[in-house]
Amino acid sequence: MKIMLAEDTRDLNRAETAILTHEGYDVTSAYDGEQAVDCLEQDSFDAAILDIMMPKLDGIGVLKYMRENNILTPVLLLTAKTEVDDRVAGLDAGADDYLAKPFDMRELLARVRALVRRGREYNPKDMSFGDVSLKAEEMELSCENSVRLSAREFELMQLLMTHADGELSTDDILQKVWAAEPAADADTVWLYISYLKRKLTAIDSDLTINGEKGGGFRLDTDPSGRSHE
Amino acid sequence: MDEKNSIYGPYRPELEKIEKELLDEIDTLRERLKQKNGMDPVEHCLSRIKSEESMREKCVRKGLPVTTESALTKIYDAVGIRVVCAFIDDIYRFRDHLIALPGTEVIEEKDYIKHAKPNGYRSYHMILRMHQKFYAEIQLRTISQDTWAALEHHIRYKHDIGKSNEELIASELKRCADELASTDLSMQTIRDMIFEDNGKSETE
Repeated sequence: MKIMLAEDTRDLNRAETAILTHEGYDVTSAYDGEQAVDCLEQDSFDAAILDIMMPKLDGIGVLKYMRENNILTPVLLLTAKTEVDDRVAGLDAGADDYLAKPFDMRELLARVRALVRRGREYNPKDMSFGDVSLKAEEMELSCENSVRLSAREFELMQLLMTHADGELSTDDILQKVWAAEPAADADTVWLYISYLKRKLTAIDSDLTINGEKGGGFRLDTDPSGRSHE
Repeated sequence: MDEKNSIYGPYRPELEKIEKELLDEIDTLRERLKQKNGMDPVEHCLSRIKSEESMREKCVRKGLPVTTESALTKIYDAVGIRVVCAFIDDIYRFRDHLIALPGTEVIEEKDYIKHAKPNGYRSYHMILRMHQKFYAEIQLRTISQDTWAALEHHIRYKHDIGKSNEELIASELKRCADELASTDLSMQTIRDMIFEDNGKSETE
C-alpha cells in the first residue's frame, strides 16, 4: 500500500511517516505542495494525506490539481484550522475525508485504513458471472470468444453483473452509468443493452439480458436453453 | 496452358462453370437484399481458380501425388470465393442461401466468427461440393475481419520482427481483432435499430 504524505512541519512529517511505515505502508513524504504534485505525477498511490497549510501550493491547491488531472487517489486533508469553511472547501474540491489538528495518531491510522479500503472498492475488478468473465484492465468480455468493450458498455456490464439478483430500472442505469451525461435517455440505455445482448451472443455465452426498452433489466443465465447455432 | 500440361487436365472449364454458378447465386441474393434494404450487402467479392503453381505446391505440401485427381478430389479449394460483407448478419444470409442451392452439398463448415481462432482470426469458411463432382471453398467475412486478416497476413510474412516484439504484436493483433469484432457487433445493432425505427414509421 503506497501513501503520499504532504506535511510542511518537519517534526510532524517525520512522526507521521514513522508511524505509517511502522504500520506497513510504503510512505513518500513531501514538505510542500509543489513537491507533492511532483510525487503524485511520478507515481500512483493508494491514498494521499495533504496538509492544507503548506508553502508554495496549499493542500487544496494540490487536491484541485489532482482532480483536474484525473488523479483519483483518495485524499485525507489535515487542517490546523477548525473553520467550517476550510473543510467545506476541501471536501468540495474532491477530498474524501478530513482530520483537524491536533489529532490522535490512532485516529489518523483508522482514517487512512478507511480511505484505502474505499479506494480498493472503487477500483474496477475482474468479475465473472455464469459462463462469462469481465476483465477490468482490458475491458474484455469473454466466454468461448472474447470482445473488447467500450467504457460505457463495460460499466453497464459490470453494473448488470453486480445486480444479477434483482432488476435494474432504466433510471438506475442512467444514474449510475450516465451520471455525467444529461443528454442520455432510455434510448441510450436500450442501445447499450442491445450492444451487450449481441456481444454476449457473439462470444457464445448462455447469458441473456431480460427486459424491454424503458423498463427494468436483469442479467440471467439462460433458462430456456436457447441455442446459438 | 493446354490441357495436357494443366494440373486440372481437361476440367478447367468445369471449374470455371462452378465458379460462375456460385458468383451468379451470390449476385442474385445481393440484388435481392439491395432491393429489400436499399443497401448493397456486399463490399466486394473475389474469386479465383487456384493457380497451377499453388495447386502443385499444395499437393506436395499435403504429401499427395501431383495429379489432376489430387487437385480435383483431394484438395477442396481449386475454386475459391471470398465474399466481404458490410454487416455480420449478411454473412449468415449468404451462407444460408448457398447451402440451400440445389446440387450443393456441404462438406465442411467452420464458423470462425462464433469461434474465433486463438490469434483473433474471424471468418466463415465452408467447403461445398457442387453437383456431386467438384469442390469450392467459400469464405464469408466482414470488412473489418477482412482488413484484420490482410494486416495479419502481411505481418506474418515479414521476417524482420524481432523475437521480443513477436509476442507483443501477436497479443496486440488479438486485441485489435476483439475490438473490431466488438465494433462490427455495435454497427449491426445500430443498423437493426435504424431498420426497426423505419419499420415502425412505415406502418404508422
